[in-house]
Amino acid sequence: MSDAVTLKFRSATEETPLARWVAIGIAVAGIAVLVFAPLLAVFAEALTRGVGAAIASLANRDAQSAIKLTLIIAAISVPLNAAFGIAAAWFITKFDFRGKAFLITLIDLPFSVSPVVAGLCIVLMFGTNSLVGGWLVASGYPIVFALPGIVLATMFVTFPFVARELIPVMIEQGRAEEEAALTLGASGWRTFRTVTLPNIRWALLYGVLLCNARAMGEFGAVAVVSGKIRGQTATMPITIEMLYNEYLSVAAFSLAALLTLLALVTLLLKTALELRHADQLAATHRA
Amino acid sequence: MPGLGLSMGITLTMLSLVVLLPIGALLLKGATYGLPGIWETVNRERVWAALFLSFRLSLFAAVFNLVFGVLLAWVLVRYRFPGRRILDAAVDLPFALPTAVAGIALTALYAPNGAFGALAAGVGWKIAYTQYGIFLALVFVGLPFVTRTVQPVIEEIEREVEEASATLGATRLHTLRHVILPMLMPAALTGFALSLARAVGEYGSVIFIAGNIPLVTEIAPLLIVIQLEEFNYDAAAAIGIAMLLISFAMLLVINLIQVWSRRRIGYV
Repeated sequence: MSDAVTLKFRSATEETPLARWVAIGIAVAGIAVLVFAPLLAVFAEALTRGVGAAIASLANRDAQSAIKLTLIIAAISVPLNAAFGIAAAWFITKFDFRGKAFLITLIDLPFSVSPVVAGLCIVLMFGTNSLVGGWLVASGYPIVFALPGIVLATMFVTFPFVARELIPVMIEQGRAEEEAALTLGASGWRTFRTVTLPNIRWALLYGVLLCNARAMGEFGAVAVVSGKIRGQTATMPITIEMLYNEYLSVAAFSLAALLTLLALVTLLLKTALELRHADQLAATHRA
Repeated sequence: MPGLGLSMGITLTMLSLVVLLPIGALLLKGATYGLPGIWETVNRERVWAALFLSFRLSLFAAVFNLVFGVLLAWVLVRYRFPGRRILDAAVDLPFALPTAVAGIALTALYAPNGAFGALAAGVGWKIAYTQYGIFLALVFVGLPFVTRTVQPVIEEIEREVEEASATLGATRLHTLRHVILPMLMPAALTGFALSLARAVGEYGSVIFIAGNIPLVTEIAPLLIVIQLEEFNYDAAAAIGIAMLLISFAMLLVINLIQVWSRRRIGYV
C-alpha cells in the first residue's frame, strides 16, 4: 500500500529521481575516469607482455633490493611513528598544559609542508655541507644519501598519522577509566596496557595502516635525500621512476602494480575497520 | 596520572629531531643567506613562472575538487544505489596510492598513445606534457579532501530543517541552495584549503605528466630538486623558504576558516 503511495508522491526532502540519477551518474563517471581508469592502467601496462614478463621483472636484482629496502624503511619508521603517536596522544589528552593547541599544530605541520621541502630540510640539516652532517660523515655515519636519511624523510612526511588518529579518540574516551584503574592500585604501565590500549587498539591500527601506506609509497621527500643509488638507496617508488625514465615500461609498471596492490589491501582493511569498529575510530565518529 | 615525564619526553624529542630541527635548518640557511639573497634567487623569471604555475593550477584543481567533492559527498550520504560502498572506498585511493604510481599511470592514460590521450588527440587536444596534464594530476591527489570533510556534516543535518523549509514553500532547489549549502560551506572550504595546500607542494604525481619545460610546465617543487642536483643549496633553500611561507600562509587561512565557522555553526 504505502509503496504505491511513495511511488506517486516524492517526499518534500528528496530530489526528483531525474536529478538524483544525474548526480549519481556524474559521481560514478568522475570516479571511474579519475580513480578506476588509472588503477586499471597500472595493471594493463604491467601485463602488456604477459604475466611471466611482469613477474620476471620483479625477480630482477635491482627490483628485489628496492622491495627489501622499502620493507626495511617501513619496518623502522612506522613503529617509531606509532610510538611517537601513542606518547603524544597520552601527553596531550591525559594532562592539562598551556600551548596544547600550538603543539597539535606543530605535530600537524608535516601535512602542509611539500615533501620536496621536507627532503630539502633534512639535506640541509644532515648533508655533508652542514655542521652536524659533516661531523657525522667524518665519523663514518652518513645520513643523507644513505638509509638513515631516507628513514628520517619518511618519518617526517608520515609524522602526524598515528597521533592525529589517536588524539580525538582519547579525548572522547576521557580519563575516568584510567583514573579508576590507578585508584584500584594498578601501576601506570599496567593501566596503559590493560585499560588504554584495548580502548584505542582499532584507532591505532587505523593510523598505522595509513602511516604504512604512505611510508612505503613516499616519493618526493625520499627522492631528495636518497641519492638514487641503484641497489643501495633506491626504494620502490624511486626504482619505478628510474625504470620509467629508461623506457622499461613493463618493469616500472610491475613494481607499480605491487605498490598498487598494497594500496588496495590498505583500502580494504581500512574499509573493514570503518564498518566494524566505526564507534572507536576518529575518522568515522564525531564527538 | 602517571607518565608525564616519559610521554612529554618522547613527544618533544621526536618532534624536535624529525620535524622542528630540520625545518630550523632550512630557516637558518635562509637567515645566513639573507633576505636580499633569497629575493635575488626567487626574483627570476623561471622561479616566478614555476611558483605562479604551481599556485594557479593548484587553485583550479582545488576549485574542481570543491564542486565535485560536495556533489560526491551528497551522493554518497543521501542516495542508495548499487556499488555505493565501492565508490565510497574508491574516494580514498588517491591517499593510499603512491604518488609516483599515480604519476606514471596518469601519463600512460593521457599520453598521445594512451587510452584517453588518443581520444583527446583525435579532436586535436593534447593533455599529457601540457598544463592540462598537471591540472589532472593535481585533481587526482586532492580528490578525497573535500568529500571527506563534508560527508560527516551532511550525515548530521537534521531532516527537520529541510522539512521546515519545504513546508514554508521552498522548492527543493531553493532548500539546497539556501539551507543546505550554507551549512556545508565551512567544511567544504576546509577541504578546499587542504586540497590546495596539498597540490601546491605536490611533486611525485606531477613530474611524469608535466613534461617539465621551463617557464611552461615546470612546477616549483621540481625547481628545488634541480637546484639540489646541481648542489646549489642556497638557491634550493631560497625557493624552499618561499614555498614554506606559502604553506604557512595557507595553514593560517585553514585555521581562520575553522575559527570563523566554529563561531557560526558550532563545530567543524
